[in-house]
Amino acid sequence: MSTVDVVVTGMGATTPLGGDVTSTWDALLAGKNGIRANDAEWVSKFDLPTRLAAPLAVEPSEVLPRVQLRRLDRCEQIAIIAAREAWADAGFERPTEEHQSVEPERLGVAIGTGIGGPVTLLDQDDLLENHGLRKVSPLTVPMLMPNGPAAHVSIDLMARAGVHSPASACASGAEGLATAWQMIQTGRADVVVAGGAEACIHQITVAGFAQSRTLSLRNDEPERASRPFDVDRDGFVLGEGAGVLVLEREDHARARGARIYGRLAGTGITSDAYHITGNHPEGIGQINAITQAIRTAGLSPTDIGHVNAHATSTVVGDIGEAVAISKAIGEHVVLTAPKSALGHLVGGAGAVESIATLLSIYHGIIPATRNLENQDPKVTLDVVAGEPRKLELTAAVNDSFGFGGHNVALAFTAA
Amino acid sequence: MASTFHAAVTGLGLVTPGGIGVEASWRAIRAGRPAAARDPALAGLPVDLSCRVPGFDADALLGRRTAWRLDRYVHLALVAAREAVADAGLDPASWDGTRVGVVMGNALGGVGTFTAQHRTLLDEGAGRMSSLLIPMMGVNMVAGYLAMDTGAHGPNLVTTTACASATTAIGTARELLRADRCDIVLAGGAEAGLCQPIVAGFTRMGALSARVDDPAAASRPFERHRDGFVAAEGAGVLVLERPEHALARGARVRARVSGYGATADAHHATAPDPTGAGAEAAIRAALADAELRPSDVDHVNAHATSTPAGDAAEAGVLRRLFPDGPAVTSVKGVTGHALGAAGAIDAACAVLSVEESVVPPTANVSGHDPDLDIDVVHGAARSVPVAAATSNSFGFGGQNAVLVLTANRGG
Repeated sequence: MSTVDVVVTGMGATTPLGGDVTSTWDALLAGKNGIRANDAEWVSKFDLPTRLAAPLAVEPSEVLPRVQLRRLDRCEQIAIIAAREAWADAGFERPTEEHQSVEPERLGVAIGTGIGGPVTLLDQDDLLENHGLRKVSPLTVPMLMPNGPAAHVSIDLMARAGVHSPASACASGAEGLATAWQMIQTGRADVVVAGGAEACIHQITVAGFAQSRTLSLRNDEPERASRPFDVDRDGFVLGEGAGVLVLEREDHARARGARIYGRLAGTGITSDAYHITGNHPEGIGQINAITQAIRTAGLSPTDIGHVNAHATSTVVGDIGEAVAISKAIGEHVVLTAPKSALGHLVGGAGAVESIATLLSIYHGIIPATRNLENQDPKVTLDVVAGEPRKLELTAAVNDSFGFGGHNVALAFTAA
Repeated sequence: MASTFHAAVTGLGLVTPGGIGVEASWRAIRAGRPAAARDPALAGLPVDLSCRVPGFDADALLGRRTAWRLDRYVHLALVAAREAVADAGLDPASWDGTRVGVVMGNALGGVGTFTAQHRTLLDEGAGRMSSLLIPMMGVNMVAGYLAMDTGAHGPNLVTTTACASATTAIGTARELLRADRCDIVLAGGAEAGLCQPIVAGFTRMGALSARVDDPAAASRPFERHRDGFVAAEGAGVLVLERPEHALARGARVRARVSGYGATADAHHATAPDPTGAGAEAAIRAALADAELRPSDVDHVNAHATSTPAGDAAEAGVLRRLFPDGPAVTSVKGVTGHALGAAGAIDAACAVLSVEESVVPPTANVSGHDPDLDIDVVHGAARSVPVAAATSNSFGFGGQNAVLVLTANRGG
């Protein structure tokens, strides 16, 4: 069981559904769609089989000044945008040399990313090839390194208690939160700004995912393409976005009278050790991660009323997760799959979906899974479809699983 | 906090520009033999120096069926991990995999595969690309694949803190053991980012040595005429165990990881904080975690990469923090800077220093520099008892991570 209570006091996001938490959450509840036809010139140029994407609803250029944009990879830009929102939401002021809301030595950052800055890498490679070394940016390496988003947030918020950027593919954002939880548990920080960011919609990633046959090919109906748990699902839609939460020692938050959204009460991290892209057929790793999260939270499976599922809309993955959830928690739990509206935000997914999980507990309402018209009969659990469902929740779990066999489960509870 | 937790180091594996395997690597490092050379793959760039692992043939070492599915950085990691597991006397076929974790550091992921596949896309079209591009390029795949190779079902993490990544990994592994989430953790780092856009980026940043006419003299940490680092590849893996687990199975404990400190400068994306405040705080935190005083430290395995500003800042911290003048060395004079793998190579060398009571020399240093005024071991390896050592790593982005390694004696 955890020994230190860790609460969430601030949240920030920029997603395909909105440029902040409120607009994203409202859109999720309203059943809006973030998936678009991808009309980028490179889609037709390379004749890519998938012509779908879930781009940001609000371009970073509408938020950040030009000088800053030029010095940051897109995933660094959105990490900063989400972190600033979360920071302000927690009631903190922007740090100056004279005044800091949180002592820098007690403030940490843990922001994961699945892929980092590949667009920078390839753009600079093209510049090198076509125009020579002098056109290559001196910021190439700091812009492409996967610790860039976390490092820039630490500089922006003056966080000196350690900066971490876990990389576990599609589980990176959730692992960022687990890392932050651990930092507070072990006394390394009082406050940690944590989450995940990803912005890699590019010819190379779309082509790569397409070659691994994991993307939806429902090109003519973007709004119906992402359909987790539905019988007609055929793959995920690549999205971009960032989610950042302010995690805080409960006594620290109480002492300053902060608003508390809820607790990150437990975490579970395991690995399949099975296959590079396939899930373990019996879901042992997923089951163990969920069980571990519930156990470290000091809860029992019957306490968990809701799971915000990883479900990406792939044929095999969704079934495996549903089976793992029923084995780890039981048949009583109510599911939703926000990727039906958001697309798959890769390293941003676990953080954005943790925000949704926490808001479901906070407001007592679970958003519906879009496009769930015919639930796959192999999925026996209760998945919210059609309209959002009002439900009093004391505890909920967010699942995140990544290529390579990474499983991360987070248990959230009401404040 | 509870009393000091000593994670037992029971196995080592190294694949470095000094050689394949701990023995070959350590021999080159002890001899102070620089590995830097001009690199045909970087031809055309004004700085075409690198430190590559000599004679590394992935097909021969791993088998073609395994090799073709993985980026080179995972190849290096896999060879190092297998050596470490064998060195620890462990048999993955019989261990309880749910109690075995993997924590690996890596800064760049599969950039070589990534740029090559992009070239394929541009020249030949999407249909010619590898179906394994996405998993091959991921920075997480190194931990995922080591787990598959060894049946490690416990926590599976990749830490990316740029050039401090592997040190963060080893520190994180120790925390997993301390929290009793695992009995055994394979921890370390791997990097193989020696491709044109990366080296071009470092060149434009002004971070690399331009001594292309004299490669062997290019990497010269703490030396007066240093002018930048030489980019390297490599991997290092340590087997860490809960002390009672190591004891129960009668394992040889080569040294212990007794402290870990991590801080951030929150200063600048690439430049170190010239005051070294963040680096100093990380060393202090690691010593406090180990319940040691600065005067207890006999040896510092420095981060020093051979850049003018970075080495000076680190030397300033060491001078301030350690008045007793421990024996300082930077193995990067030999190996170059292996970025996300560097911390594991350094930590493995610190383990060997503790075990063998010897500190390797810093290559290309010929005498005492009164401006830096620290005791840099030079010329030849120095025999000196090492009861406690720190291994320092500092990353772009201002990420500082420090380990304390101690000899396996007493409580």
